[in-house]
Amino acid sequence: MTNYIPLFLLSIPLAGAVFILLCREKFIRHILTIFAALLLATVILGAYTKRGLYTIGSTQLGFDIYDPAFYVLGITSVLFFLVTFYLRSWLPADKESAALRNEPHGMSTKTFAVLLLIFVDTMVLTALSRDFGMLWVAVEATTLASAPLINFHKTKSSLEAMWKYLLLCSLGIGLALFGTMLLSASLAQNASLSFYSMAVQSPQWFKAAFVFCFAGYGLKCGLAPFHSWLPDAHSEAPSPVSALLSGSLLNCALLGMWRMRDVAPEGLLPFCNNFFIFFGIVSLVIAAFFIIGQKDYKRMLAYSSVEHMGLIALMIGFSSEGTALIHMIFHSLIKMLLFLTAGNLLLYYGTRKIASVQGLFTTLPKNARNWMIGMLFICGTPPSPLFFTEWVLVSRAGFVYGAIILLLLFIIFCAMCSIVMKMCMGGEIKNDFPQLGATTEKVTRVPSFILFSIILAFVASMASLYLLAIDNFFKF
Amino acid sequence: MDNMTQFILVLFLFNCLFLAASSRMLHLIRLVAVQGFLLGALPLVIDIGFIHFESGILSLINLVIKGTLLPYLLYVAMKKASVKRELEPVIGYSFSALAVLLFCGAGFWIANNLPLPTFFAKTTVATSFTLLLTGLFLVAARKKALTQVIGFLTFENGITLFGIGLMRHHHFLVELGILLDVFVLVFIMGIAICQIQREFSHIDADKLTTLDDLPENSSSGDVTAKEASK
Repeated sequence: MTNYIPLFLLSIPLAGAVFILLCREKFIRHILTIFAALLLATVILGAYTKRGLYTIGSTQLGFDIYDPAFYVLGITSVLFFLVTFYLRSWLPADKESAALRNEPHGMSTKTFAVLLLIFVDTMVLTALSRDFGMLWVAVEATTLASAPLINFHKTKSSLEAMWKYLLLCSLGIGLALFGTMLLSASLAQNASLSFYSMAVQSPQWFKAAFVFCFAGYGLKCGLAPFHSWLPDAHSEAPSPVSALLSGSLLNCALLGMWRMRDVAPEGLLPFCNNFFIFFGIVSLVIAAFFIIGQKDYKRMLAYSSVEHMGLIALMIGFSSEGTALIHMIFHSLIKMLLFLTAGNLLLYYGTRKIASVQGLFTTLPKNARNWMIGMLFICGTPPSPLFFTEWVLVSRAGFVYGAIILLLLFIIFCAMCSIVMKMCMGGEIKNDFPQLGATTEKVTRVPSFILFSIILAFVASMASLYLLAIDNFFKF
Repeated sequence: MDNMTQFILVLFLFNCLFLAASSRMLHLIRLVAVQGFLLGALPLVIDIGFIHFESGILSLINLVIKGTLLPYLLYVAMKKASVKRELEPVIGYSFSALAVLLFCGAGFWIANNLPLPTFFAKTTVATSFTLLLTGLFLVAARKKALTQVIGFLTFENGITLFGIGLMRHHHFLVELGILLDVFVLVFIMGIAICQIQREFSHIDADKLTTLDDLPENSSSGDVTAKEASK
């Protein structure tokens, strides 16, 4: 019976999408989306003791807590659940603001809901897949489902961002497909590509396969220097979609790289780890370089995602997988808080320019609080959960790497803080755009709730971290 | 049988050469359709006599999707966007043809240095590298969005050909998934091309520069401001 869990999980968002297509009432559509999200989250988090492995033909779908994919699944479902609540007040507010500013009023809510559910479904498939072929199909499908979502507002710039995203990600993921072909060449004839029964026969072919898969999935997860699509897509997408893109899609892509490293033969592990370390450092450098003097606050968040993917890659490279998982979970939650708050600012000010946003504490006090605390958390300021994971990373990395990482993190911290200070402090400046007052306050509820739950989750996890002695428990 | 496969591979190489040297959109779309047909036909030609049911079906689906459906979608996009030819490519046509010849040489050199078991595998892998590189080259060296999609399809066909050359197949479901992904991708890209045509009144991908972090051509904030004040 438990073997049907993966199928059940896959069918929840899909069924939701079908029902929404059939449904005419707007209110019921909202309720259906929330219900699908709730069901998904409940099943994933409720069935954590179960193990399911469903075989279709020769590929398998699996559900298992002793696998990094479980955490990606959990993050995806929780984030999606929170987004559905946010959408309930955000969608009307966005329509209102578009009408107020005479902008084109984007995609219809029905299409949006259907595409969102399909997008979540493809991410669930990524986390459930148990062989490299299916993993590739699922990751490519996430690109296809999310591309129309980026073009939600149907402006020139969002169209451009969608085009770049489609072309670059498809070409990149094409490289991963090539890598998958090479991987099958490194195995015995007709051996399956399953994660669990992989016996690499030719290390040379495996090296080539790893390089191509790393480049492909690395591009999708935004590691520098393959990150150029990421700031465009994340800044142009509507904020709830940016939150999902940054919080769960990047993790799904990271899973592809992680899987490749997991199946590497013993002798090739240092080779793979060096890749993770090198590109992790490059990502930190690029992120630091572009966050300094950034003029657009959503692009700043996007570069911060590049930074954190680099950090997670570094953690994997220094073989502390448990820390990487914890970092992944909290980065997703905090980044979601920040993107949703950025969405509120965008609703109120109608622009993403940092220079036109000032005196947040006087105009939008609740949002200013969320923005400020979120920013301190994402930079890893001591009470933040990310401080502890970064601390473990630096202590693992040795003197030279540790010093480089600390220096880069410090630069990013300074750059982000100066931007956030500029936005939060000072008096209100006169803006040309008509502004939304009351609606923005209503939209703030969900981000505030997320902030509260991050703090709660942090307190709980500190207690458990102490018990689990940080790293030794999560050895996969 | 062996002559037949070699003949198909030679056709692939000629196809690449024509792709790089032609400027008319209709011509390019036809060439991609031919690629699809050849790709569908190749496994059927190899496997004659001991054809596996599933791979036969897949081959036929390949033939239908890559040989007819995708070129048709591209044709519709071309009509809607009303572009007929690639006027000013980044790299000229004669030089492009030369580049494809170089790719071909590189492909055979790489395949020769790989530990491949048979002559068939060597030639197929060499051809697939040529297709791969030509596809990437087209994406980089052409400006029109439609030509870039054609480049992407060539790249994808190269990867599929590589799989055929190694005679290692993914499983039925996975191959079907890959085909479906490519199909949906081209579908969305077709729609995007039409939208780009409508919004910008051209489909030159090199002129899509509103989003950029470097100061000289960055105008991201201004665009929203302009649109807001409209």
